[in-house]
Amino acid sequence: MIDIEPLRFAWTRGGADTLALGRWHVGQGQTVFLYGPSGCGKSTLLGLLAGVLSPNQGRVCLLGQDWAALTAGRRDAFRADHVGVIFQQFNLLPYLNVMDNVTLPCRFSVLRRTRCLTAGGPEACAQSWLQRMDLPAGLWTRRADALSVGQQQRVAAARALIGQPELILADEPTSALDAALRQGFMDLLLQAARDAGSTLVCVSHDEQQAARFDLQWSLPAMQETAARG
Amino acid sequence: MNRLSEIARQSAWNRRSTLVWVVVSLALATALLWTLERLRHDIRHSFSQSVSGVDLIVGARSSPVQLLLFSVFHIGNVPQGMSMDSVRMLAQHRSVSWVVPLSLGDAHRGFPVLGTTAAYFQHFAYGDKQRLALRQGAVFADTLDGLYEAVIGAEVARQMGYDLGQSITLSHGMHGHADGAHDEHADKPFRVVGILAPTGTPVDRTVHVSLQALEALHLDWVAGTPLPGGQIPADQARKFKLEPEEVTAALVGLKTRAAVFNVQRFVNFHEPEALMGVMPGVALGELWSVLGIGENALLAVSGLVALVSIVSLMAVVLAGLNERRRELAVLRAVGAGPRHVLGLLTLEGVWVTCAGVLLGVLLAQAAMALATPWMQQALGIRLQMAAPLPTQLALAAAVLLAGLLASLGPAWRAYRLSLADGLSPRI
Repeated sequence: MIDIEPLRFAWTRGGADTLALGRWHVGQGQTVFLYGPSGCGKSTLLGLLAGVLSPNQGRVCLLGQDWAALTAGRRDAFRADHVGVIFQQFNLLPYLNVMDNVTLPCRFSVLRRTRCLTAGGPEACAQSWLQRMDLPAGLWTRRADALSVGQQQRVAAARALIGQPELILADEPTSALDAALRQGFMDLLLQAARDAGSTLVCVSHDEQQAARFDLQWSLPAMQETAARG
Repeated sequence: MNRLSEIARQSAWNRRSTLVWVVVSLALATALLWTLERLRHDIRHSFSQSVSGVDLIVGARSSPVQLLLFSVFHIGNVPQGMSMDSVRMLAQHRSVSWVVPLSLGDAHRGFPVLGTTAAYFQHFAYGDKQRLALRQGAVFADTLDGLYEAVIGAEVARQMGYDLGQSITLSHGMHGHADGAHDEHADKPFRVVGILAPTGTPVDRTVHVSLQALEALHLDWVAGTPLPGGQIPADQARKFKLEPEEVTAALVGLKTRAAVFNVQRFVNFHEPEALMGVMPGVALGELWSVLGIGENALLAVSGLVALVSIVSLMAVVLAGLNERRRELAVLRAVGAGPRHVLGLLTLEGVWVTCAGVLLGVLLAQAAMALATPWMQQALGIRLQMAAPLPTQLALAAAVLLAGLLASLGPAWRAYRLSLADGLSPRI
């Protein structure tokens, strides 16, 4: 599913490496918890996995496809088809309503739109995912910025899941939430990702959540291994 | 493209409170350019339509433009006159077909009064050699019986509500009194005997009387002021010699156009007094070259206004970009590529510019429709609510193009930003 061959990445050419990783493999449907302090390169790793950043050395492959082998346009299309993303916050376009936000990936990916057809099209699909994320139907036609942060995160999760992309990347998805809400959100997200058969890579510095994932990796530890190896 | 334009529409609508001012600023600039070009064209058209079929305008030697403006448009100061002897000599020239003397200097309620002969109505033409036509009544008679008769232009009749038989009094000087209570020539009232059909030229705003009538009015005047004590009643005036010795200018028609330079030379080297002959077309050309400087300055200023509003469009969109970095990152996260981002911003620029230009044209057309009656009344210039001129369209297209180019700048910057930011904008 995800295959990384030893890679190096630096933001500036010739600058210090932000990230150096050894060989790394994640299988289809696994859930991965990546933790580490702020600034250890977590977001950079997500950028590499999503194919918006390219390593200076090494390779990042998704579904056997090397990101670097694709042209910029093909990379965008490949990402739209196979990757769903959840940010820390501000995930939604404030001027669209909840439904339109959730169906947004189907506007850019034919594959994900087609996958929704068995469930009755993007709208029906969006409704079922919003239901799974426990979002009351009364909110579905509201503007996205009328929702609370917790509700917005659940909409973002539904959007990442629509059309069942093979990989879901979550960048500190619970850090903007109250402690009481974090557990519930993570439960919903993990269950939904398993049901969709998607691989979930979740980056966080909140190690309390780690136990419920299939794999737990400490990013600083991975980097040290790479440096030694 | 469809999915993109829908998002662009909703995104722009979300920021409408800022964008509307960009549209308004573009609209005002477009309206300015659009109106200016129409005015420029119509004023020229109006001027060049005002006289035709006249080969030469003859008057005392001064500036050709001044002579033309005064004798045809009644604009400017009263120039020095020319003697009636010269007019008669001119009429005897073998190439000259007709001569119509003109005498100006009085007014009726702000409308200029033109003293002339009945031949004026036969020979004067406007537009495409169209003769003056009477809508009602007849031309004044060149006899003593018809001494106090007046023929008025269509606009005079309409504005003052005059009909045939109306009695009017004249005031001394070109400006006159609006109320008519202090008309210096109130002792010799005129009767309206004819009303001309509308022409769209200064003729519409003119009161025509005979040369002899003007002479009769000024019998008891010396050097522009009434003679103390010596009032001559209207009927008594007929006993005096009413042939004028001096007129303001003369319109000349030739037997063949080819002789125009000959006759012009004859006039310019006329010994007894310093005269000049002016070809209306040449004088108009001179007028345009003088006006052209002002016109071009106006056009340049309007161009600058358009430039300023386009730069402000760029500034507004660029300033908004930082706030939109999050929006662009979200779009990229759901699968939009940088080219989509480029398209999104370009599309917005296209809409804003199109809306601005369209609104500007509508605004300008509305403003001109409202101003037309006033322009006609105050200046005798008829604005044409006709199809847009090619130059107007070219100016609108230039604003459109500049707006599009200006929107490409911010779009390119957004493209670069979204490339650099990836999924996590550094803000």
